Amino acid sequence: MKSLLRQKEFSIFAIIVVISIILSIVSPAFLTIGNLLDVVEGNVVMGILAIGMTLIIITSDIDVSVAAITTAVAVSVGALFSYLPDSWISLAIIFLIAPVIGLLIGSVNGLLVSKIQIPAIVVTLGTLNIINGLVLYFTNGRYLNSTNFPKSFLSFSNVEIFGIPILIFILVFVAILTWYILKHTFIGRSVMAIGGNQQSSIRVGINYQKVKLFVFAYMGFLCGIAAIAQTAYTKAVDPNGLLGLELTVIAAVVLGGTNIHGGRGTIHGTLLGVLLLALIQNGMILARIDTFWQNVVTGAIIVFAVSYDHISYKRQQEKLAKIEVA
Amino acid sequence: MKRFTLSLLLIIVILGILAGCVSEDGGSSNEDSGSDGNSDNEGEASSETSSDEELSIAVVPKLVGIPYFNASETGAEKAGEELGVNVQYTGPTEADASQQVQKIENLISQGVDTIAVAPNDPASVDPVLKKAKDQGIHVMDWDTPANEVDLSVKQVDDEEFGRHMAKKLVEAMGTEEGNIAILTGGLAAANLNAWIDAAKAELDENYPDVEIVTEKIPTDEKQQVAYQKTLDLIKSYPDLDGVLAVSTPAPLGAAQAVQEEGLQEEVSVVGSALPTDSQPYLEDGSLDTAVLWNPEDLGYLTVALGKMLAEGKMPEDGQEIEGIGQISVKDDGKTVIMGPPQDYTKENAGDFDF
Repeated sequence: MKSLLRQKEFSIFAIIVVISIILSIVSPAFLTIGNLLDVVEGNVVMGILAIGMTLIIITSDIDVSVAAITTAVAVSVGALFSYLPDSWISLAIIFLIAPVIGLLIGSVNGLLVSKIQIPAIVVTLGTLNIINGLVLYFTNGRYLNSTNFPKSFLSFSNVEIFGIPILIFILVFVAILTWYILKHTFIGRSVMAIGGNQQSSIRVGINYQKVKLFVFAYMGFLCGIAAIAQTAYTKAVDPNGLLGLELTVIAAVVLGGTNIHGGRGTIHGTLLGVLLLALIQNGMILARIDTFWQNVVTGAIIVFAVSYDHISYKRQQEKLAKIEVA
Repeated sequence: MKRFTLSLLLIIVILGILAGCVSEDGGSSNEDSGSDGNSDNEGEASSETSSDEELSIAVVPKLVGIPYFNASETGAEKAGEELGVNVQYTGPTEADASQQVQKIENLISQGVDTIAVAPNDPASVDPVLKKAKDQGIHVMDWDTPANEVDLSVKQVDDEEFGRHMAKKLVEAMGTEEGNIAILTGGLAAANLNAWIDAAKAELDENYPDVEIVTEKIPTDEKQQVAYQKTLDLIKSYPDLDGVLAVSTPAPLGAAQAVQEEGLQEEVSVVGSALPTDSQPYLEDGSLDTAVLWNPEDLGYLTVALGKMLAEGKMPEDGQEIEGIGQISVKDDGKTVIMGPPQDYTKENAGDFDF
């Protein structure tokens, strides 16, 4: 129990609990299974992207092209739709092709960052602009509605298992996969090591370039999955629909306790960060907070959460220091 | 290894250049390539003379690459062909005021005859429009009003449009009492606010028993945000009867929520949307009516009036514009209203291609 309390993620968990209690008192509609499922389903895309972003931020880098890559894959999938038959094969094709497209774009980012060692923010800003330009050129901003979608894809997006939408299972799958990689594989441990101390990790023989390439390629792969989730969720392809999402994704990761300077971060922390942002958004209307105050409340909660988190972390560090002296 | 790095760098540079070209192409209008083609045929000398003869009219949208402004581009180019003027349709790739000012600066140095702008931020285009005027270029606005203009083209009367949407919503609800919510694209958008205010006035005056349950809710011009907000609204206000959604993605998101919850009969949705986008929702009644104007006509009218302005004429109230119909001019003598709002319903949505 004590170790649980001492965990860094506990503070954000506590804030979520407090907000949930307030919301369930204010609104009877909040604490219903239907509402909670809606909240989670609505943030599957953000969750998937935030999980990938966690790995990148752990290695003390950043990727601002995630929303653009996801849009690029979604637009490609949308273009593919009109050639696909109405059978389950098209579903398999989409699940095969979308992650591969994402993986390829992510690998380009990764190669530039690892081999040529251009700062990631420059590389990903570049790819962000290239992709946005190309998407605009090819689609002319055209919104695709569900009339061209294969029926199998539409029925897939409505599948529920035990009353839980399929998209949530995709998020859970991604979370478990990434957790396993981070915790139990060599490459995952290398990610943590490089973030903790780059020099030492290279000295003990970790292949720096390989790890950097991996995190960006994996991010691209997840963008591909997020694109499927986004298309299934909105049942449409909107080239402008994800504009600016990368900042929210980064905010969720940092809220979830990942150190922006690298070396520290967990998957469950990130998921809590996403959940906190999602609950705030959901709660605003349920709690009937006036529109003009919603931004103020959102900002206040984020500032509070981050400072609370940081204070408790500092205290912990001080304690650690004392023990060393003794 | 070095070779590999070098070749990779080369690829990036080439890619970068290509991307540059592409976005330039996307940004400027097809009219450029069209006029290039002409001058190739006629030889180089004639391209100079043709620019002397043909009036050139520049139409600057808030941004290029969204369905709405694509439709008005089609209309503007059609007008260019039919009226024999050179049309340049060019704007920023995102709704950004400073990028738009740059585009206008470029047009001034090209020496066009008329510039028609749909400003992202009216105040920020003031200086550059003034500069254009000083150089003898006729300046007008379209879609959204600017300050320093000789002529102002409006798609609809804001007051009439807002009231019309409110009426349509009450009609769709089938009752003159109930609870409704209002979704908007963004809280700072002046035209959306004007419509909402007019809609509220209409409800206040003629349907006092229709209650608006909460302040207007912003949706960031995104369908999925409108979808989530509508789901939240339905849960929070179980007795909700209608949703009024202004800004083009908002009605789609609201209708999607109604469709998935199977509340087509209980919750009516009316909003401003393009017909092809809203078709899947119009068909099963989750979206009752999409109200908008015809953006193609708006582009056409802008060019037609731009031509008149360049020829030194001003439009008159009740004047018949070929291909558009009767326009009305407000009392200030320079604000032109294209016509009444257009309704897109299950029956007619398939007839349009924007």
